[in-house]
Amino acid sequence: MAIDTTIYFPAPSRASAYFDGLQMLTGAALIIFMWSHMVLVASVNFGAGTMNTLARFFEETYMAQVGGPVIGCVFLLHFFLAARKIPFRLDQQTTIWKHSRLLHHTDTWLWVIQALTAMIILIMGSIHMWTVLTDLPITAAKSAARIQGGFWLIFYLILLPMVELHVGIGFYRIGVKWGFIRRNTRKGFKRFENVLTSLFVLIGLVTIVRFLTLPI
Amino acid sequence: METVWTDLLCIGAGLAGERVAIEVSTAGFQSICLSIVPPRRSHSSAAQGGMQASLGNCCMGEADCPDTHFQDTVKGSDWGCDQEVARLFVETAPEAVREMAFWGIPWNRIVPGKSVYFKGGKPYEKTESEENEGLITARGFGGTAKWRACYTSDGTGHTLLYTMDNKVVELGVTVHDRTEAISLIHDGETCIGAVARCLKTGRLRAYLARATLIATGGYGKIYRESTNAVINEGGGALIALDTEIVPIGNPEAVQFHPTGIVPTNILVTEGCRGDGGTLLDVNEERFMHEYEPEKAELASRDVVSRWMIHHIRRGLGVKSDHGDHLWLDIRHLGAEHIKTKLREVEEICNNFLGVDPITQLIPVRPAQHYSMGGVRTDKDGAAYGLKGLFAAGEAACWDLHGFNRLGGNSLAETVVAGKIVGKKIVAFLQGSESKYDTALIKGAVIKNQERIDGMISGRAGHENVFEIRNAMQDVLMERVGIFRNGKDLQKAVDSLQGLHEKSRRVGLRSNGRGANPELSLALKIQGMVRLALCVAYAALKRTESRGCHAREDFEARNDRDWLNRTLATWREGSDLPTLNYEAASKVVELAPGDRGYGVCKIISCDGEIIGA
Amino acid sequence: MGRELTFHIFRYDPEDPDSIPHTDIFIMEEKENMTLFIALTQIREEQDPSLQFDFCCRAGICGSCAMVINGRPGLACKTLTRELPKEITLMPLPVFKLIADLSVDTGAWFRAMNEKVGSWIHTSKKFDPSAREERMDNALAEEIYELERCVECGCCVAACGTANMREDFVGAVAMNRIARFMMDPRDERTEDEYFEVIGTDEGIFGCMGLLACEDVCPKNIPLQDQLGILRRKMGWNTVKHLFRFGSS
Ligand SMILES: Cc1cc2nc3c(=O)[nH]c(=O)nc-3n(C[C@H](O)[C@H](O)[C@H](O)COP(=O)(O)OP(=O)(O)OC[C@H]3O[C@@H](n4cnc5c(N)ncnc54)[C@H](O)[C@@H]3O)c2cc1C
Ligand code: HEM
Ligand code: HEM
Ligand code: SF4
Ligand code: F3S
Ligand code: FES
Repeated sequence: MAIDTTIYFPAPSRASAYFDGLQMLTGAALIIFMWSHMVLVASVNFGAGTMNTLARFFEETYMAQVGGPVIGCVFLLHFFLAARKIPFRLDQQTTIWKHSRLLHHTDTWLWVIQALTAMIILIMGSIHMWTVLTDLPITAAKSAARIQGGFWLIFYLILLPMVELHVGIGFYRIGVKWGFIRRNTRKGFKRFENVLTSLFVLIGLVTIVRFLTLPI
Repeated sequence: METVWTDLLCIGAGLAGERVAIEVSTAGFQSICLSIVPPRRSHSSAAQGGMQASLGNCCMGEADCPDTHFQDTVKGSDWGCDQEVARLFVETAPEAVREMAFWGIPWNRIVPGKSVYFKGGKPYEKTESEENEGLITARGFGGTAKWRACYTSDGTGHTLLYTMDNKVVELGVTVHDRTEAISLIHDGETCIGAVARCLKTGRLRAYLARATLIATGGYGKIYRESTNAVINEGGGALIALDTEIVPIGNPEAVQFHPTGIVPTNILVTEGCRGDGGTLLDVNEERFMHEYEPEKAELASRDVVSRWMIHHIRRGLGVKSDHGDHLWLDIRHLGAEHIKTKLREVEEICNNFLGVDPITQLIPVRPAQHYSMGGVRTDKDGAAYGLKGLFAAGEAACWDLHGFNRLGGNSLAETVVAGKIVGKKIVAFLQGSESKYDTALIKGAVIKNQERIDGMISGRAGHENVFEIRNAMQDVLMERVGIFRNGKDLQKAVDSLQGLHEKSRRVGLRSNGRGANPELSLALKIQGMVRLALCVAYAALKRTESRGCHAREDFEARNDRDWLNRTLATWREGSDLPTLNYEAASKVVELAPGDRGYGVCKIISCDGEIIGA
Repeated sequence: MGRELTFHIFRYDPEDPDSIPHTDIFIMEEKENMTLFIALTQIREEQDPSLQFDFCCRAGICGSCAMVINGRPGLACKTLTRELPKEITLMPLPVFKLIADLSVDTGAWFRAMNEKVGSWIHTSKKFDPSAREERMDNALAEEIYELERCVECGCCVAACGTANMREDFVGAVAMNRIARFMMDPRDERTEDEYFEVIGTDEGIFGCMGLLACEDVCPKNIPLQDQLGILRRKMGWNTVKHLFRFGSS
C-alpha cells in the first residue's frame, strides 16, 4: 500500500472482526470439548472400567495434562471475548432486562439466559476444573467419591443444566450469526437444538445417578 | 425567533421537491427542504404501479416514442392540458427514467422469451427479443396506446423516493423534517420565504429564501374517501391561496381512482388491471367491455370510475355494510405473478381485508385519488402572480394532466418537472439578489403567532376543528364526487360557506403546547375549507363535462365555451373564490377531437355537435 | 362485534413543562375491521385532541406509524384490533428520541444512518443523458428490490436488544441497506470499503443474533439471511487480509 494512502485512509481496525471470529471459534472449540467431555464422563455408564480406560488413555498420551490447561485457557479467552457483549453497566442491565420482559421474544430471552449461565459457568467451571486437574489421575472411583460426598452432587446439578443450556444456545447462535441457519431452516434447527440440549442434560443426570450408585 | 436563510426553500420533500433541490444543489446553491414527515415517508412512496416514459424497449411498447406518449397524454387530459408542457414532459421522461436508473433504481428488466399476459381476463402470448434483454421493461396502464409504465414490482414510488432521497443524502442537502409551512412571506410582488411551525417543538421559524418552491403534493384529504395519505391536506395550495394573488388552476379537476379497497380506500394499483385483472359485478361477470368495447378495463381512470358508479346505480353492485362495491379479480394472474409483481397488493389485501387475492375477489370502489389542480405555474414552474415562487409535482398545476391524469404520468411528472423547474430556478437564482425586508418578516411571524394564541385562548370562539373538517369532507364526497350536477354543487357551495364561517371561530380544546396536533389542523382548517370551496364553486361554474369533471346536467364536452382553465384566487374577507379563466393551451399541436374511449358527445370549437 | 377496548397509552410531552411521563387510559367500542389507526384517530378526535402519534399513508407502506403494541414493535396502521386482546398497551418506540406520547424522531436517526452507511450508489461514472441505460439481469433487479423494500419504520431497531443497550449500534436496517448496495453492480465500492463502514462492533460484529429484527419486520425483509451473509463476507474479508498481510 502506498504511503500517502495509508496516511489519508488509515486501514480500518479489524479488531472487532478478529474478536468476533475468535469468539465463535473458541465457542465452537468449547462445544466440541464439552461433547468429548460428555463421552468421557458418561462412559461410566458402561462400567467404571470403561471410564478408567478412557481416562488412562488421555493421561498416558498427556492429553489431560496438556489438554486440561489448554482448555482452561480457551475457556478464559472465550470469557474475555464474550464478556465484551455482556452488559456490566447497571443501566444496560436494566435496559436489556426490561426490554426482554416487554418483548416476549424467545431468541432475546435465549441470549439473556446465555449471558446469565455464562457467569455461573465462569465461576463453577473454574472451580471444577481446578479441582479435577489438581487431583489427577481421573478415575471413576474418585469421581464417584466426590459426588457421593454431597457437595459436588449439588454443584453438578446446578452446573450441568447451565452448561448444556449455554452450549445448546451457543450452537444455535453460531449457526444463526454466521448464516449457516437460514430463514427457512431456523424453526427446524431450533427444535433440533432443544432436543439435543434435553438429551444431554438427561445423559448427564443418568451419569450423576450412576456415580451415586457406583461402589467406591 | 429562529430565522434560517437559504437560496432555495423547498416546501415539500417528496419526489418533486427533492428532485428540484438536487438540481439546485448540484449547481452550487444552497437549498433546504421542509417536510411534515421524514422525506422518505412522503406520499410519493405510496405510488405502486409505474412511471411513464416512452423507452419502447419491451415488445408491447415497440415503436413507442414521445409522440405517442404525447397523444395519449393530451387525449387523457381531454384536451385540458397545456400542450407545450405536455410536449416538454414526454420528451424528457425517457431521460428521467434512465437517470433514475443510473442513481440506483432496480427497474424491472426485460426477460427474453415467450410469456403469457392477460387482457380482459384472457391469456395471450408475447415474445420479448433476445436483443433487448436486460433493458428497462414496462407494463400497460389505462389510457395508453403502448406499454410504457416502467416499474419496480409494485413499489415504484417507494424505490423512486428512496433513490431520490439517497441522492439528497449524498449531496448533503439539508432537510428539516417535521416542519410545516403555514404561510408564505411576500409583499404582494415577491415571495421571500415562509413561516413554518416545527412539529417537534411547536415553535415558529422564519425561512428566508431567494426562491421558494411549493412541492407539497396532492390535497385529497379534503375528501372523506381518498387514497391519499393523511398529511395530504393541501398545505401548499392553501398558503398560495392565502396570498390573494397566486391562483389555483383547475381546482374542480379531481381524479377518482377506480380501485380503492372497501372500506379503507387504500389503493390497489392500476397495474392490477394493466397486468390483466378484471372488474366484476354482483354476478361475478365482467361489464367494462360492454361499455368500452375497445379498452374495457383499461380505459382512462375517469371513464372506468364513471362506468363503475353507473353500473352500481343500475343495481349491479355488491351490497355491503359499507355501501355498494364491485369486485376486482386478479386470481387468474396466478400466485407467482401476484407474489412477485403485485406483492404490495397481496399484502394490502391480506392485512386490511383478510382477503387472499390469489384465491379471492377484492372489493373495490372508486375513491378520490389525484388533484390535477394546484398552484398554477407557467411552463418554467414559476407561479402566477409572485416573483420567486415556484411549484412542482402534484401540488402544481403545471398542467400536463388537464382534466384527467394518466396512470404513471404523475411519478414521471415529479421527476421531469423537478429537473426542468430545477434548472429554471438555478437560472433565476443566478440573476437574483437577496433583499429582505425585516418588518415584513416580523409582521408575518407575529400574525401567525397571534392566530395561534387566539386559537389557544378561544378568543374567536369554540368551534371544534375536527367537526368542521369532517363535515367538509362529507360535503365534497357526497356532492362534488364523480357525477356532478348543478343542484348538488350549489348545495355543496352553500354548506361549505357555512363551514367557512365557522372556521373563523375555531378554538382549541387542548392546551396547544408543543407539537399539538389539534393546533396543526386548526391552522389549516380555514384554508382547507377555502380550497374545498374552490373545488365546488369551480365545478358549479363549469357547465360541461370534461375528463373527470362529469356533469349530469351538461353531458357534452364543450370546446366552444370551456376549452379553458379555471384560475381561482381568494380575496380576504370574501366567502367565495374569484374565478378567472385562461385558454387551456396557447400552443395547439393536437386539435381537440375524440379520445377514443368514454362517451363522446362534443360541442366543437365552432359549435358543431358531435356524437350521441 | 362491539368488544370494549381499553387503551393504556404512554403520555409525555417534553415540550410541555407541566407534563410528566404517565399512562392514560382510553375506553372505546370496537368496530368491524378496526385498525389502530382508526382507533387512535377516533381517540384524538373524541377524547383527547392533544394525543400525539404519527400516521401518514395508513396503508402499511410509509413506515411512519411504528410503535410498541403490547410489547412488540409494529406498524399501528396495519394492526387490526381484532388480533389484539381487550387490553391494549401502546408505547413509543425505544432507541429513538421521544417527541411526545407515541411519536418518536425516526427522521433524524435514519438520516444519520443513511449518511453513515453511504446509502447511495458510489460510482465514478457520469450520467450520459443520450445513452441507453445499462443492462441488468431482471432476477438481480428483483433481488435488489427485495432488500430495497425496507420502509425505515425502525421496528427492527427498537426490537433489538443490542441497539437498546448500545446506542452506537447501527441496527439490522443499516446492515440490510449495505447488503443491498453490495449486491448492486452499479455501486463500485470494494469489499474493503464496505468493511470500513460495517466491519465493526457498531456494525455487523456487534450483532448478537437476537433475531428480534427478523421477527418483527413488518415488511418481512430477509434480515436474518442478510446478516448471516454479511458476517461471513466480512469475516472472510478479514481472513483474506490476514494472509495478504505479509505479501503486500
Ligand atoms: C396510492 C397512490 C398511488 C399512486 N400511484 C401512482 C403510480 O403508480 N404512478 C404515478 O405516476 N403516480 C401515482 N400516484 C400519484 C403520485 O404518487 C403522486 O402524485 C406524486 O408522488 C406526488 O409527488 P409530490 O412530490 O408532488 O408530492 P408528495 O410525494 O406527496 O410530497 C409532498 C411533500 O410535501 C410535504 N408537505 C406537505 N405540506 C407541507 C407543508 N405545509 N409544509 C411543509 N411540507 C409539506 C410532505 O411532507 C411531503 O414531503 C399515486 C398516488 C397515490 C395516492
Ligand atoms: C464450557 C464452557 C463454554 C462453552 C462451551 C461456551 C460456548 C459458547 C458458544 C458456542 C457461544 C456462541 C458463540 C458466538 O455466538 O459467537 C457462546 C457465546 C457466549 N458465551 Fe460461552 N461458552 C462457555 C463458557 C462461557 C463462559 C465462561 C462465559 C463467560 C462469562 C461465556 C460467555 C458467553 C457469552 C456472553 C456469549 C454470547 C456472545 C454473543 O452473543 O455474541 N461462555 N459460548
Ligand atoms: C479439562 C477440563 C475438565 C476435565 C478434566 C473435567 C473432568 C470431569 C470429570 C472427571 C468429571 C466427573 C465428575 C468428577 O470427577 O467430579 C466431570 C464432570 C462434569 N464436568 Fe468436567 N472437566 C473439565 C472441564 C469442564 C468444564 C469447562 C465444564 C463446564 C463449564 C465442565 C462441566 C462438568 C459437569 C457439568 C460435570 C458433571 C457431569 C455430568 O454429570 O455429566 N467440566 N468433569
Ligand atoms: S428492516 Fe424491516 S423493521 Fe427494519 S426498518 Fe426496514 S422495514 Fe422496518
Ligand atoms: S435483533 Fe439485533 S442483535 Fe442482530 S440479529 Fe437482529 S440486529
Ligand atoms: S401510516 Fe404508513 S405505515 Fe402506517
